[in-house]
Amino acid sequence: MTKVDCESVCRSAMASEDGYVSDLSAEQVEAHLAECSNCRTEVRQLRTLANLLDGQKRRPRTESVWEHVEQHLPEALPTWSGSRVWRAFVVLGLFLFGYRFVEMIPDRHFGILFKLVPILLVIAAFSYLRENPFKINSQLTLEGSETK
Amino acid sequence: MMDDQAAIERCKAGDKEAFRHIVEHYQREAIGHAIAILGNREDAMDAVQEAFIDCFQALDRVDLTRRFYPWFYVILRNRCYKLASRRNKREMSSSDETEILAPAASVQPEETMLLEHAMLELPAEDCELITLRHLDGLSYQELAERLEVPQGTIMSRLHHARKRLRDKLARLSFNGFSGD
Repeated sequence: MTKVDCESVCRSAMASEDGYVSDLSAEQVEAHLAECSNCRTEVRQLRTLANLLDGQKRRPRTESVWEHVEQHLPEALPTWSGSRVWRAFVVLGLFLFGYRFVEMIPDRHFGILFKLVPILLVIAAFSYLRENPFKINSQLTLEGSETK
Repeated sequence: MMDDQAAIERCKAGDKEAFRHIVEHYQREAIGHAIAILGNREDAMDAVQEAFIDCFQALDRVDLTRRFYPWFYVILRNRCYKLASRRNKREMSSSDETEILAPAASVQPEETMLLEHAMLELPAEDCELITLRHLDGLSYQELAERLEVPQGTIMSRLHHARKRLRDKLARLSFNGFSGD
């Protein structure tokens, strides 16, 4: 439940003018505005600003970037497909599985370098695939985007 | 006239001329959006060029059932903010003409200039949000999808952005915002 204070009332009043239904009802907003002159002034000014901005248009552009873009395009699209990544991880998995078996041979001490092999291999695999396993992927996805 | 979907299919098959169709169709819109974020034409052109090159390399990941530009906008936006992060401060154009706003018959040129100046003094995210909402007319839902944040966040950010713009206009004694 949103608290009814000056800030939330002004925010909701402007949002409703933009066609968005906020947590505060129209009655709550109206009731607050009726008794708060500061909020009435604030909303009036913001409404004037919104109208001023709505009356503006973007400046039409005439520049072209194709010449520069064309010079820097690779010869072909990268063939970096999902199946290639999938295959690389299968190979890595099989290797690690085999490594585990070798490690289980009794009375064998391969030393510290042997222990580091899987870690180095995983680092090499991610470098080869140019993937950062610690990166939060916030790019290139627009769920449900159907709009311009 | 080739549609985007057909052009992208042809790009994937190695046809660069098809990509030209995409670039020429969206470059003007992209430059306008980049200027709103970066504040000047030169940086915007660099960002748009780089974004189209990134886009070409990522075409195998585009979802053809969705519109192209919102997908491209995410790439463009990433490019713009990456470029902006290398700048300490947004460098505004020194031109006597406005870069974002078109001169309108109903508004004095000085007022348009002043309004644009105030917009460019805002943080890049504020200017981006205000132009997408008011110049492109995107709804909260469209803004939320474009900027990858919830609609409630859009409401809050837009409110603060407008308040900051209102305060800047008041300081510039802009007609209607001073002395209230």
